[in-house]
Amino acid sequence: MEAVLNGLATGFGVALDPLNLFLVLAGCFGGTLIGALPGLGPINGVAILLPIAYGLGFGPESALILLAGIYYGAEYGGRISSILLNVPGDAGAVMTTLDGNPMARAGAAGRALSLSAVASFVGGTFAVILLSLFAPPLASFAVTFSPADYVALMVFAFASLASLVGKSAVKTLLGATIGLMLATVGIDANTGVARYTFGIPDILAGIDFLIVVVGLFGMAELLTLVEHQVSGKLKSLPVDKSFVRLVDLARCKWTIARASVIGFFIGILPGTGASVASAVAYGTEKRISDSEKTFGTGDVRGLAAPEAANNAAAGGAMVPMLTLGIPGSGTTAILLGALLMFNIQPGPMMFTQRPEVAWGLIASMYIGNIALLVINLPLVGLFARMLTIPQHYLTPLIAILAFIGIYTIVGNPFDLLLITGLGVFGWFLRKLDFSLAPVILGFVLGGLFEDNLRRALSISGGDWAILIENYKSITLYILALLVVMIPIWLARRARRIHGGVPAEED
Amino acid sequence: MADRIFAGVLLIVTLAYAAIAFTTISAPFQYDPLGPESWPQILSLVAIACLLVIVWKPDAIELGVAGRTWLRLGATVIMLCAYAELYEPLGFVLATILFGGALSAMLGAGGVRPVIFGVAAGGLGYLLCVTLLDLNLPEGDIFETLLAAVPRTEGAS
Repeated sequence: MEAVLNGLATGFGVALDPLNLFLVLAGCFGGTLIGALPGLGPINGVAILLPIAYGLGFGPESALILLAGIYYGAEYGGRISSILLNVPGDAGAVMTTLDGNPMARAGAAGRALSLSAVASFVGGTFAVILLSLFAPPLASFAVTFSPADYVALMVFAFASLASLVGKSAVKTLLGATIGLMLATVGIDANTGVARYTFGIPDILAGIDFLIVVVGLFGMAELLTLVEHQVSGKLKSLPVDKSFVRLVDLARCKWTIARASVIGFFIGILPGTGASVASAVAYGTEKRISDSEKTFGTGDVRGLAAPEAANNAAAGGAMVPMLTLGIPGSGTTAILLGALLMFNIQPGPMMFTQRPEVAWGLIASMYIGNIALLVINLPLVGLFARMLTIPQHYLTPLIAILAFIGIYTIVGNPFDLLLITGLGVFGWFLRKLDFSLAPVILGFVLGGLFEDNLRRALSISGGDWAILIENYKSITLYILALLVVMIPIWLARRARRIHGGVPAEED
Repeated sequence: MADRIFAGVLLIVTLAYAAIAFTTISAPFQYDPLGPESWPQILSLVAIACLLVIVWKPDAIELGVAGRTWLRLGATVIMLCAYAELYEPLGFVLATILFGGALSAMLGAGGVRPVIFGVAAGGLGYLLCVTLLDLNLPEGDIFETLLAAVPRTEGAS
């Protein structure tokens, strides 16, 4: 407990520094704007802005605080387009449309927006409190992990990824493997042998993380926007003067509490972020409290549950990233890559070696949450304006921002072609129902995975049995097996109960 | 069908990746049991297994992209490539004016609006990034050669 309080004191010392405080606010504000743009979710927003944030030349803690603010703000902003336009910004916001949009259509747009802001605030704050309590003990436990345990941890991470993310487990696994394979390009650090560089000097140091992120997310998103392009403006529902009432909050308080817990713990699982959390929270809430069958027609609880859950998941996803160096979602994978660019290895040692970064980030999340609530309640009308930006201006802007970002960092026009190529590849992956988060997770974790495997086998002198010698690794393998088996078993059971009717996708 | 074609193409790439992993990569000397080739070998086997499953049992997905959409996508990619190629020769401002104008015009902005948008994006973007944020953007080779040419002609005369 004392460690937590000391850490928080350090953290607030960093986060309340005028520059950092400004960056939290700017990040939250900018993130909300980006999140509110139709079709542009948190992961794409962070991906497009990451190179620019890096290019500004701040210290690592300031840059990370800015990026986390954008991430948080975009999670907030996503609900605006979901509620007013019925167009979710990303997979995590799909559940918000189910009850949020009917409320807005019934003339309660202001109420829906303010209620979801409160739910997001509670979910986010709950998660950040648990994060500051859980992270230090977990980090000090994780220090005892041997390389073999780390291998087991990676296997668990990829198992939960394959089982919980995306429509097809094989495709998710393949996506992660593609990411891992991309990470093998470059000089092998242990022996100095060049792998898959084909004599091109530009990639001797490996494919640049920024190029992969901006290409796969930013540019692929742009192509998707062009593909679905609708001419002219989307029809946005007006924001009225209605506001969240105490009755609504009283009705939702247990919903929000349950959804926050669900969101946080699902967020912790490696690789599963807001989309799974909000879907599970909505499903659970529907099962528990939908006695009058009002869910889906504008029930306040159906709106509060996914909103609380996806913000709690955003905080939960930070736990494995900060303590183990394994990102809990696609977006945290990008943040982790950002840390690596600053030569900070996220993981158990970060709390002792770079406390100002770890705790500064946590403290900034407290501030960011409050700031978002304050920004969001009065300014929602302004953000709603963003919805009416015509797509034919938005789309070129994304490309211009992405090009600025990549060019300022790398300064090599060849990379601009590379991100375009990766964008085309990413667009095909998306069209074929691959989710892109596993690719980036594999890419970020590739080096760590390989190093630990090789280190473990060096310790044992080539004996593969070392991988299952320790109770920690065995536990992790069992968990990995469970996380794969349980959804299959649940689906079987659901099918048996429904008498052969295929289980509903959620 | 699209699934199968995509998996087939990836399979060829992965087989090439595997071939390199199994034949070419090797360290001249090493002390560790696992060399630089082992990890790519493991990965290629996993990837090939996944790809074979997809080729064997593809999801029934059609891309569902209409002919005109393909045209639009192709044009976007060409514009992006042109933008990338012109970035340094023309400089950020001019390249952005051309690209922003062309893409917004293709996506349905009417009248003179694409021109206004392009000029605004190029001009304001440059001012914002270079003066305010202190980022590094190309000024354009043609301007540099023009500027370099002016004093030389003066000196000659």
